[in-house]
Amino acid sequence: MAESLKPSTFLRGVHPSHNKELSERAAVSVMPAPKTVYIPVQQHLGRPAVPVVEKGAAVAPGTLIARADGALSSNVFSSVSGVVADIRELATPSGYCPHIVIDNDGAGEPRELPSLDDPSAEKIRDRLDECGVVGMGGAGFPTAMKLAAKEKIDAFIINGAECEPYITCDYRIMLDYTEQFVRGAQILARGAGLDNFVIAIEENKPDAIDRVGRYIRDNKLAAAVITLKTKYPQGAEKQLIYAVTGRRVPVGKLPASVGALVDNVHTALSAYLAVSKGQPLYRRVMTVSGRGIKNPSNIWVCNGTPYRDIIEFCGGESETPAVKMISGGPMMGFAVSDTGIAATKTSGSLLLLTDSEAFTGEPGPCINCAECAAACPMKLMPMYIDSYILAGDAKNAVKYGARNCIECGCCAFVCPAKRPLVQSIRLAKKKAQGGGK
Amino acid sequence: MSNLTVSASPHVTKAGNSTRGIMLDVIIALMPALLAAVFFFGYHVLINAVVCAGAAVGTELLFGCAQKKDFSRAALKKSSVKDLSAVVTGLILALNLPSRLIVGGWDFNFYAAGAARTVENIIFSFDTVLICIIGGVFAIALVKMLFGGIGKNFANPAAAARIFIMLSFGLKAVGTVGFLADAATGATWLSSAAKSTSNQSMFLNMFLGNRGAAAAGETSMIAVLIGYVYLSVKKIIDFRLPLAVVASAAAFAFLFDALGRGSGPRILNNVFANVMAGGLVFGAVFMATDYSTSPNTFWGKMIFGAGIGFFTVVIRVFTAMPEGMSFAILLMNIAAPLIDKYVVPKPFGYARPQKPPPVTVTPPPATDAGAKREGKK
Repeated sequence: MAESLKPSTFLRGVHPSHNKELSERAAVSVMPAPKTVYIPVQQHLGRPAVPVVEKGAAVAPGTLIARADGALSSNVFSSVSGVVADIRELATPSGYCPHIVIDNDGAGEPRELPSLDDPSAEKIRDRLDECGVVGMGGAGFPTAMKLAAKEKIDAFIINGAECEPYITCDYRIMLDYTEQFVRGAQILARGAGLDNFVIAIEENKPDAIDRVGRYIRDNKLAAAVITLKTKYPQGAEKQLIYAVTGRRVPVGKLPASVGALVDNVHTALSAYLAVSKGQPLYRRVMTVSGRGIKNPSNIWVCNGTPYRDIIEFCGGESETPAVKMISGGPMMGFAVSDTGIAATKTSGSLLLLTDSEAFTGEPGPCINCAECAAACPMKLMPMYIDSYILAGDAKNAVKYGARNCIECGCCAFVCPAKRPLVQSIRLAKKKAQGGGK
Repeated sequence: MSNLTVSASPHVTKAGNSTRGIMLDVIIALMPALLAAVFFFGYHVLINAVVCAGAAVGTELLFGCAQKKDFSRAALKKSSVKDLSAVVTGLILALNLPSRLIVGGWDFNFYAAGAARTVENIIFSFDTVLICIIGGVFAIALVKMLFGGIGKNFANPAAAARIFIMLSFGLKAVGTVGFLADAATGATWLSSAAKSTSNQSMFLNMFLGNRGAAAAGETSMIAVLIGYVYLSVKKIIDFRLPLAVVASAAAFAFLFDALGRGSGPRILNNVFANVMAGGLVFGAVFMATDYSTSPNTFWGKMIFGAGIGFFTVVIRVFTAMPEGMSFAILLMNIAAPLIDKYVVPKPFGYARPQKPPPVTVTPPPATDAGAKREGKK
């Protein structure tokens, strides 16, 4: 686990052009809260949170508006001050869920909890739970729950790979909030009962490696920076653990089963804000990029801000019209058309891609070239999962690995016929569970 | 924001990676072999290539429209021929055929004025053109399109068409003779009686392509190897699959053929000649690597390649046929789905189900009864 000269990496994977130059020089700025926010009660992995406010209730930034329902659920907070106008079903990138609509009056002071000095592991976890901190890399796994793993943990990894093309929010956090971020990482490690941790960063971010490494050395922290090879999906949990520790997370198991925990860069920053500043999680840094947006930026966005306001704040559309709007990264994100969709705790990016960047054509027939199998970091056979599930055969789709798919999108990326392989595998997963009629 | 597309990923794709691009690369890789064939066997090969490719493309175009019962201009424009795979099939088929031939009972060929009606005197082989058309139609209509088009065919269309032609027509005279070759080398090494006489100049001629053969494109090793390097560097094919075919053929040629033909350098010469003769290398590079009909895993490809090498040598040595490459490819094509069914890679992080610890049985101490029983035996 020492700092090595040779960049660590995983097996297989792909090399998409990373396009980070669009937004990587834009320091993090703050987007003012919009007139109205639409805060979804589902911003995490588990069940939707249960609203605890009613229409007409007065709220301030940091007021609890929906309470966690079960272990994998998480608290949701108001991101603005004002009055609850409505609670209604609205679209999310992948379905529908109740949104709490709040009209912003811009008056009230943010509500904060007392800061904790030198807290115990248990106190850290309670605070993270209370402040609604979830994994902000995309999955939205409640952080307190992750840190409370029963297994013995000896490797705590902060995931600074940021391997998705275009996205630069983690990179900017490492540069612009170095101290808060590293302190947050330390808090997370302590929450898991560890004193030391490693921060793994892809080698295409040399200044972040440099800045974070210098901070660790200057403050003599029990931490190390590990350089990762630039390859997609370097930041996928199982691949990252393999790159850093050489351990393979067994099929169907959580990382804790090999004594490792992985948390995202932004999660560390949010943990710092929650524990040391008492701020609940209700806003995040988001990358707005793509050649379809006028001013690609990294901005603090309140939860519940509709995409149309974010696009407007970033100067609107550029001269070249966008052909695809993507919520999330280009490899794993979802194409959406509704600009009323709201930003959440896990929306790391919003992309407006032009015709030269995005694929909008029709898929062709599979030619059996096996490039998808050669690219798959989980060593699956996507072409067979695809053809079997489209023929309605879930049993054989599972045989070729459908259940183990991490949905990284490497297969679809390399497919010469541009088949929507990830979509097929999602269908196979659903059907294997008896759903997806 | 009015023209947003909502579709499943891929949102971004690997630059320049398309079915058409892959087929174009294969066509480029076939060019050295085609040029070498034209150089050694004349313009006839070029005619064959154009006719085969045309027949293949035309068949796919019409078949696709007939399936949809729509022959409108729009339907023609949407046709699957745009992916160029039919052109590849046509070219490979043309290179798998002799430059000129006389079909028994037909003989519609045009001969040089006043010359005898032999293969060498054909100036325009109309028989070959007809055979090319039949082969192209057979390959695309029966082998490819009937099974669902690109990616769904169970056998390599060119290999199947070659076998169909070889078996179905009484090919009276096959004329693919290198112009530099003397009369003795006109016959191919595989069919010649003097199989055990191999010498250095023969190897050089085989390597360059100056030799007789049953197929125009397979003669020049160097041209095929240029194509192989191109395809490997562009990562169109798995470079290990042709190696597996050749290695396996060499091993089995050593076992089945060379060992029975003397000793010392003769054995080695025989193995070399077996590898270089016939369509082995051409087939290994351009036909065994066909995506649709070869397995999709590394070990699957190795088994597949080894099988092709094995069957090629077995057919050459133990049957009445001089060459077995096409049959070997076809046989392994049929086995490919089976290989992919059983050779499935274990996913990352797969752990073998724990076996219960073996029960150790301590042998009972030798008793009188045991000793007696053994004694009786």
